[in-house]
Parts: sequence; C-alpha cells; structure tokens
Amino acid sequence: MAKNKTMNHKSATNWKKGVTIFLFLLPALLLFISVLIAPIAVSIYRSLQDWNGFSEGTFIGLKNYKELFTNGSIKFMVALKNSMILAFFSVFVQLPLSLLLALLLGRKIKGERFFLSVYFMPVLISTVVIGQLWLKIYNPDYGLLNRMLDALNLSSWKHVWVGEVGYALGAILVPTIWQYVGYHMLLMYAGVKGVNPDLREAAMLDGATNWQVDRYVVIPIIKPIIKVSVIFAVTGSLKTYDLVRILTEGGPFQTTEVPSTLLENMLFLRNRYGMGSTISVMLIVLCFAFALLISAAFKEKDN
Amino acid sequence: MKMKRLVSTLLAGAMALSLVACGATEAPAATTEAPAAETKTEEAAPAPADTTAEATTSDAITLDMWCIATESDSNRHAYEAAIADMQAAYPDITFNWEAFENQSYKTKIKAAVSADELPDIFFTWSCAFLGDFVDAGKVYCLDDEYQNWKDELPEVMLGNTTYNGKHYGVPTTMNIVGLFANMDLLKEVGYDEVPGTYEDFLACCDALKAKGIIPFGCAGKETWCVTEYLESVIEKSIGADELNDIFLGKATWNNEGVATAVDTFQELVTNGYFDPAGVGLTNDEVKANFMAGKYAFYMNGTWNCADFAANEEFFPKVKVAEFPVVDSAKGKLGQLIGGPSDTLAVAASSPNAEKAAAYAMELGKLICHYGYLDGCGLPAWIPYGDTSSVNGLTQAVSEICANADSYVLFGDTAMNADDAQTYLSYVDQVYGCQVDGAGFIAGLAADIR
Repeated sequence: MAKNKTMNHKSATNWKKGVTIFLFLLPALLLFISVLIAPIAVSIYRSLQDWNGFSEGTFIGLKNYKELFTNGSIKFMVALKNSMILAFFSVFVQLPLSLLLALLLGRKIKGERFFLSVYFMPVLISTVVIGQLWLKIYNPDYGLLNRMLDALNLSSWKHVWVGEVGYALGAILVPTIWQYVGYHMLLMYAGVKGVNPDLREAAMLDGATNWQVDRYVVIPIIKPIIKVSVIFAVTGSLKTYDLVRILTEGGPFQTTEVPSTLLENMLFLRNRYGMGSTISVMLIVLCFAFALLISAAFKEKDN
Repeated sequence: MKMKRLVSTLLAGAMALSLVACGATEAPAATTEAPAAETKTEEAAPAPADTTAEATTSDAITLDMWCIATESDSNRHAYEAAIADMQAAYPDITFNWEAFENQSYKTKIKAAVSADELPDIFFTWSCAFLGDFVDAGKVYCLDDEYQNWKDELPEVMLGNTTYNGKHYGVPTTMNIVGLFANMDLLKEVGYDEVPGTYEDFLACCDALKAKGIIPFGCAGKETWCVTEYLESVIEKSIGADELNDIFLGKATWNNEGVATAVDTFQELVTNGYFDPAGVGLTNDEVKANFMAGKYAFYMNGTWNCADFAANEEFFPKVKVAEFPVVDSAKGKLGQLIGGPSDTLAVAASSPNAEKAAAYAMELGKLICHYGYLDGCGLPAWIPYGDTSSVNGLTQAVSEICANADSYVLFGDTAMNADDAQTYLSYVDQVYGCQVDGAGFIAGLAADIR
C-alpha cells in the first residue's frame, strides 16, 4: 500500500516536472516553429507551385526543380559553382589567415588590443559601405587599383575588375575574405585565450617552440571552434548576397550570380515566387547537408 | 533539497501566474482592439454614403500616391508642379505622396499588391508590368472616367494600358530610344551630321576608333541599356511589325532575321566600338562619361533630353537622331523603339476609387504637361498652353516622332516579368559574346514560357 502511495507520488511528481519543463520550453518552441519551421514548410509547399505572388498558385509538382537545372537563363548551376568557389576560398584562405592572426595575437604580443580592433573593424562596418568602398577601388577610370598600377608603370595589368568575366568573381572574393577574417579571428582568438596557460608553459618547459605549442597544444584544443568557423564559412558562402549585389549584381553576363541573387531575381524581377521558394528550399537543404558533412568530417578525424 | 524544491515551486508558480497574467492581458487587448477596428469600420462605412452626399456637403477625402519621382529623378519637378496645381484646385482633398527609388519601387509595389495594401494612386509601367496586377483584379477600371478626358487624351495612347478592351492606366509621358551624338567628337573625324546610312555609320565608327575616340558607351551593369542598342538594330533589320509580334508573343523567337540582326549587333561589339569599361558601369556613370566627352554616341531613352539640356556646357554639342536602317528590305526610318510606358493607375481596393480615378486623370495630364516643358519626354496627352520653352533636343525628338511610321514598345516592358528577365539574360549573353544570334533565338524560343 505504502509502496503504491510512493509510486503514485513519484509519478505525480514526474508528471508535474514534465508539465513544468514543457511550459518553460513552450514559448521558445512556439517561436522556433513560427520563425523557422513554418516558413520552411510554406517554402516547400510554394516550391511545388507556379505562383506569381498575387494570384492563386497552381500545383505543378517538381517542375520548378527540373526547370532550375534546365532553363538556360536561370543559371542555377553557375550560381552554385560560384558559391562553392567562395566556400573553398573561405575555408582554405580566409580561415587559415584568421587562425594565424588569432594564434599570433594569443601570444600576448605588443599592441594586442589595437591589432584586435583593427582586424575586427571590417566586421563592424556595414557591408553596403564596404561594397561601395571597393567599387571605388575597382572603378576602371578613377579607381585606386588601376591608378596604382598606372603609377607603378604596370598599366598593362589594368582591368575592368568588376566587369570582366575573368576577374569579377575574384573582385568579390577579395573584400569578402577581407571583411570576415576579423570575425573568424575573434572566434578563434577567444578559443586561444581560453587555453590553460599551464599547458603552454609545460610544453615550453619541455622545449617546444611557439609554433610547436600552437600546432600540438592550442589548435587541437580549439578544434571545436574551428569546426564552427568552417560551418559558418561554408554556409555563409552559400547564403552570400550583399557584396555580390553591390559589386556586380550577378554580372557580367550572369557569371557571378549566387543562389541568393537568383532568389531575389525570381521573387522581385520575375514575379516567380514558386521558383524563388524552390531556390530557397535548395539553399536550406544544401546548408543543412554541408553542416552535417562538416560535423561528420570533424568527428571522423577525432575518432 | 527542500530549498531547491521551494525555489522550483516558486519559479513554476511565478511562471504559471505570468502565463495567466499574459492571457488576462491579451484577452482584454483583443476586446480593446475590436472596438478600434469597429470604429475604423464605422468611419470607413459612411464613405459611400458620403460620396452621394458630397455634392451638397464636402469632398474632404485623403488620397495617397506612390511614384518613382525621387529628388534625383528628372521627372521630379513635373510631379511637384502638377501636385501643387492639384492641391490648389482641390483643397478638400488631402493628397499624400511618396517617391521611391526605381528598382526598390518594383519590389515594394509588388509586395503591396500581394498584401492588398496599394495606395489609392500608384505609378506603374504599362503593358505586362501593369497587366499582372490587372489580371489579379487589383486595378480599378478607368473606362467611365476616360469618357471625361477623351478629347485631351487620344485613345491610341492607351494601347499599352488596355487589357481585354478596358482601360486601366493614365499615361503621362512617352519616350523613344534616341541616338545621341556628341557633335564635337564627330566633327573631329569630319562629320557635321549624324551619319544617315548604316554603311556611313560604320565608317564613322571606324574613323572615331582610329582617332582614339570610343564610339559607344553602354552600361553593361544594367542590361536594359544594352537592349536600347540591340532592339534598334533588330528593328532596323527585320522591321517593326515582326519585332512587335515577337515581343507580344504572337510570333516565335525562332526567326532567322533576328539571329542575323543579333550577329550584326555583336559585330559592333567585337569590332571594339563599345567602351570595354562600360561592362562594369551603371547607366548614370556611362551617361556622365558621355557628357564628359568620353564617347561619341549614346543610345538611350529620350527622357535624357532634360538632363542634357540642363547642362549648359554640353547641350550645344549634342544632337539626337534615329538609328540608321540596317536592312532596307524590311527596316525603314520612322520605325521606333518606345511608346507611352510611364503610367498612373488606381487601386481597386481604394475606398475612394472613383474620385481617385478622376484625380489621377487630371494629375496625369498635368505631369505630362510639365514633363514635356521640362524635356522629360513627349506628351501622351494633347499639349496645351505655351510650349515654346521646350528645349531644342526634345523638339528634335518630337520631329522624329512626327515622322514615325510605327512604335515597338521596349522589349522588357512589353513582356511579362518572367519572360522579360529571360530575354534580358540572353541579351546579356549576347553583349558578352557568350551566345551568337543562333544561340540567342534558340535559347529564347526554348526558355520563354
């Protein structure tokens, strides 16, 4: 009898606990559903429709997905390729640069705070301002870059940087890498600073050089942060929009289109909200897939 | 342990209370809002009754308008002057207007149509752009109101805003594509007039190039600027009727004549007549370069006349002409690209749609009047008053139009939004020499929906 009473009391307590947890989680859950799950669900639904945004949509199945890869004027594959190039340079140029700066600043060098602020400053500046700034640098007539080449007697190297097929994507890459080096550096710097100084000292006492300490002590410890940076860099490259929009608007001849500029084109210029939803679904899938792949790759390496 | 339990009980209690409290606050809020909505309904409801009683009482209403006449827009003055006249004539109508930048306006207006939040009167482009809104039932039909204005607004000017035989737009100005020439530069290579034949035109370009002068400036960053050249070449090669049929979807893009014309245009590009730096420039930058004497020719809309005329130093140097005939078997002088496109329309959802229609008509007429005087375009309405102050360049455009044989509306305006973007994409590829004439027609025939 007493045992039953205790059991009943326990299950009542558990139930109450469950309700309490549920109530505490409910606001966040509702927020999560309304701002993330619901829009994704609506996007998937709309991606199966031919819909211009103001009339009734027509269900067309997977036709939008097929057209995305077959229509010669949409250039989704070009956009995807450009995003991959951006992701490649972000991971293999931007992140090593960020790591290098974070490791150097983590050694308590002179002027550490000053350099930290300087490298982080581009992150604080609005991307529109950065885009305009680089547009002025790239301007073929009065731009700093071409003027500098003139001054150095290298006029033959002058180009229409954002207007030539061979250079436009590179012209986007440089400010993109420059802008976010500081962001990743700060993430990694926080990690470097979190490394126990005793470990560093112990390694030094054992005769390790600064680089050896970084290589064998610091980097393995901040690996989770590096993983986060890689995920941010790759998914950020897939979602990139602002600098492309300002610098090239997807041109010349659509060679620098990225999925987000295509998405804008579909929604606001072509009135194809159905196709726009298709591109957004593709973006969501790709971002999730890459995040999972990167996590799996890091896990495998750990194992 | 007891303490923990006490704290968690207190927290849970506080949370439960807050939830109840939230609910209690929200519930009355909803009831508070309901009367507010009712009040609004009560205020809105008498509107139709007011309309009937107005004749004897008052015309006090508020009308809102959106347009693209921003501070930097050449039509700004025409809008300001017209609105000032209207406000003086109708003091009982509170008129609020907002101007937005061209590109962002396209986004804003479409979002407003989707959300049924259009202002009473709104600026729009004719043909397919307005057509999408008409199809969705969002635009007020102006047939009844037009009867009051038909003596001043020729019906031929309403062709681009007529859908299923009904009129939905008030045209303001009309424009064509003009070949603007810097005569100082042309004189340097021995030309006192803009070359009249295509052969002479090419010879002039060669002479300019040999002298180190760039013949054409074209903004590659804005593909519509490329169409100003390409469409003129196509029209003067295959004729206006064929091109018009293609733009309106009555004929296929699979047209050998178009392919040849595209190749002709591409020859101009590959011959190095275009400024290579133009690919990375906006239209404003190219226009500034033309006015600074960097290019000999600039093909663009005649709305530029106002800006050219306003520049005292540049104005005496510039002349406007028609693009020469490329293939005289089909193309001929007088076949022009352009027509009335800038339009005012009235929202079907406007509570004062009838009055807004009358207001929009009169406002459109005044914008047209002042726009013409300013040189922003040719009048879609029959001109009135003293027009002797119109600048010489606009008058020259008037003369070209007076001898016009036919008009083909700008391709990206004539087509629906999706087709227009597909078309612009291929125009872009032609300018970049990524596809030739055959690729252009094959691609468009396959991808235009």
